[in-house]
Amino acid sequence: MKKKLESFLLDVQKPSRYCGGEVGQIVKDKEKVDVRFAFCFPDIYDVGMSHLGMKILYSLINERENYWCERVFAPWQDMEEIMRREGIPLYALESLDPVKEFDFVGFTLQYEMSYTTILNMLDLAGIPIWQRERGENIAPMVVAGGPCCCNPEPLADFFDLFILGEGEEVNLELMDLYRDMRDRGASRSEFLRAAAQIEGIYVPSLYDVAYHADGTVKSVTPQGHAPAVVRKRVIVDFDKVYYPEQVVVPFIEIVHDRVSVEVLRGCIRGCRFCQAGFLYRPFREKSPETICAEGRALCEHSGYDELSLSSLSTSDHSRLEETLDEMLTYTAQRHINLSLPSLRVDNFSQSVLDKITAVRKSGLTFAPEAGTQRLRDVINKNVTEEELMRTCKIAFDGGYTQVKLYFMMGLPTETDDDIVGIADLAQKVVDLFYDMPDRAKGKLQVSISAATFVPKPFTPFEFEPQMEKEEILRRQEILRRAVKSKRVRVSMHVSDVSQIEAVLARGDRRLGRVLYEVWKNGGHLDSWEEYFDAGRWYAAFETCGLDPAFYANRRRDYEEVMPWDHIDYMVSKQFLIRENEKAHAGVITPTCREQCAGCGANSCLGRACF
Amino acid sequence: MKDYRIVFEKTGRMIYISHLDLNRCMLRAVRRSGLPAWYTEGFHPHLYLMFPLALSLGTESVCEAMDIRLTEEMPEEEICMHLNAALPEGLHAHDVHTPQYMTKDIGSARYEVILQGEGLSEAWETFLAQEQIIAPKHTKKGMKDIDIRPMLTTEEMHTEGDKLILTLRLPAGNERNLNVGVVLSAFGKHADKPFLTKKVCRTKIFCINGEEFF
Repeated sequence: MKKKLESFLLDVQKPSRYCGGEVGQIVKDKEKVDVRFAFCFPDIYDVGMSHLGMKILYSLINERENYWCERVFAPWQDMEEIMRREGIPLYALESLDPVKEFDFVGFTLQYEMSYTTILNMLDLAGIPIWQRERGENIAPMVVAGGPCCCNPEPLADFFDLFILGEGEEVNLELMDLYRDMRDRGASRSEFLRAAAQIEGIYVPSLYDVAYHADGTVKSVTPQGHAPAVVRKRVIVDFDKVYYPEQVVVPFIEIVHDRVSVEVLRGCIRGCRFCQAGFLYRPFREKSPETICAEGRALCEHSGYDELSLSSLSTSDHSRLEETLDEMLTYTAQRHINLSLPSLRVDNFSQSVLDKITAVRKSGLTFAPEAGTQRLRDVINKNVTEEELMRTCKIAFDGGYTQVKLYFMMGLPTETDDDIVGIADLAQKVVDLFYDMPDRAKGKLQVSISAATFVPKPFTPFEFEPQMEKEEILRRQEILRRAVKSKRVRVSMHVSDVSQIEAVLARGDRRLGRVLYEVWKNGGHLDSWEEYFDAGRWYAAFETCGLDPAFYANRRRDYEEVMPWDHIDYMVSKQFLIRENEKAHAGVITPTCREQCAGCGANSCLGRACF
Repeated sequence: MKDYRIVFEKTGRMIYISHLDLNRCMLRAVRRSGLPAWYTEGFHPHLYLMFPLALSLGTESVCEAMDIRLTEEMPEEEICMHLNAALPEGLHAHDVHTPQYMTKDIGSARYEVILQGEGLSEAWETFLAQEQIIAPKHTKKGMKDIDIRPMLTTEEMHTEGDKLILTLRLPAGNERNLNVGVVLSAFGKHADKPFLTKKVCRTKIFCINGEEFF
């Protein structure tokens, strides 16, 4: 394998994507390990290597002497052509062994548009794509984890099982069970029936789905002893959870080329459009001592000169300033750049800014998400114009001249006035800058990015229709015309991708055939603009007799059985309905820290969140 | 403050690491090694590393040079040891010394090349017998066809079975540089028969004055 690879590696771009050998990779003797896990990221190396979850689980599994986790990424087109031509199967980077020989082939589901890449990777590996065609041999067990497991139904027919929620504990439980049962000679279906008894393990083949004549789900019925509802796993003591001291250090530049410490999990904000804000509940944070120890260890072992304190909303850490103070005494001395990727407008203070600019100055990014206060109240993005202006002023005082503003279009209840509001808000930022007598030298650049809203499961907007494409295009034009200043640049996304994303996000099992059809007709790496082909998707819907609008653009009743109703992410449907009603009434919900909104996550945790 | 020149080899999987990636990899290795590296002054201090001669992707080497400045003097063996502990497999420092020559002094480099196939030694001889060898070469102004024949010296050649073993000397450095890959693809076109490239390795760097670059 190694020899064969070597003869082709000089024919592809960035060959070090495909040959492993990085500092920090774990190599074991395969004769001495019991269970081998191929951790597959359904995108190319450059993207997958940036993913924090993979780094955590890779190290976690490898801590166990008798288990070996390796990395697998999707090849770029040039490499795939060579692999198919030369009969090189998909292989793992550490051992260069074919993925097909592994016990577990585990995919992480980070975004819907990666689904076709999963099918392509299974095919490149020589593993049957449909679960039912894998036979009774226990290996390889094709599994998945990650946020999109909250509605895995479109992928139900391709996977043996899904791991719901946080993997730090359940992954090892699953591997232990596998080792025991394999050694006793268990079959695939015997193992799956047993695995379904582990909390957080969802085995889709053990559930029968019935539909109403109108295409909505009638019922989801478990077979045998499979639980009627599968609840996600969470780590109760987050401060003590496993965290790696070393990561694999890539040779090529990757998307997020830094080490990061996860400072908190969950989010107190409850923005109604944001799936992550609900999926990762309850809110838990690490202590400053833990954060600093983990950050130091990672810098020392990896040699990186950038450390990021990451989370959904790092400035919501209750002890951020003291964490920064301690971390900075270490990083500044060693010329390490400390970055805080997710700051919020409302609690972004002068002292935090001073602390991060002490090391390096770059552009600032804010996400007001909607152009008017009315709509921001609807989506519960509790940021006021005043706060945005105050923060921009602090930033401009600090010498910043680039501001990025993120918005969404097509939000529930949105009107043309809300769209014009986006341009108005950007204009106010421009005026603020030029009204400052002692503004920084150089030209101001305000970038507006407006993405199309995609309603997602486990959010209060899971009932909402996505706006039709024609209407989105009309509103994009309104925004373009409303922007007057040359200092404001607008970028907007193509809405075909958003519609497909909306279909898959809230789709049911019947979409498996669509995914297969798209892949069969050459579709994969669909998250890359150059490979996404809307025509291929719409043709596949037609072939399968399914209407994308039924999934994307239809309003659901509160009573409707959702395809994911048998999956429990610790936020109750009653809570989502309540939040949906409040959204339409334009009533905000305070943060979890101010007042518990009763989502249900605390009862699963067995204690109050705060 | 003291400058050191580290001589290292780049073999195995490391031949797929580009010059830019090597630079990044070495920066991180130096940081991991705990060596008292000197950082540039100014608003964005950065670690100072310098590679006198780049190596092209796909070529091995046993004689690469990297210059580093330390804030204090250290025994050379100790520098070697600390760095090696931090380097990935395929990168290995085997000598550290005080730089004698500068980048601008570099004039040429020696390569060992092993090719495998039928009738290669005759093909190599007819290749060299040409008055001109026109090959496309990257220049500052993009790709350009140039005559590489005058730049090409075969110091030694012999065969072992179906293997042709060559020792080549090619110009290297700022003034005139010829990539061994350019030579091999020109030969591939000339030979017009299939062969395998078993090994391409830079074995020594020389100065314009003929001395070994040290």
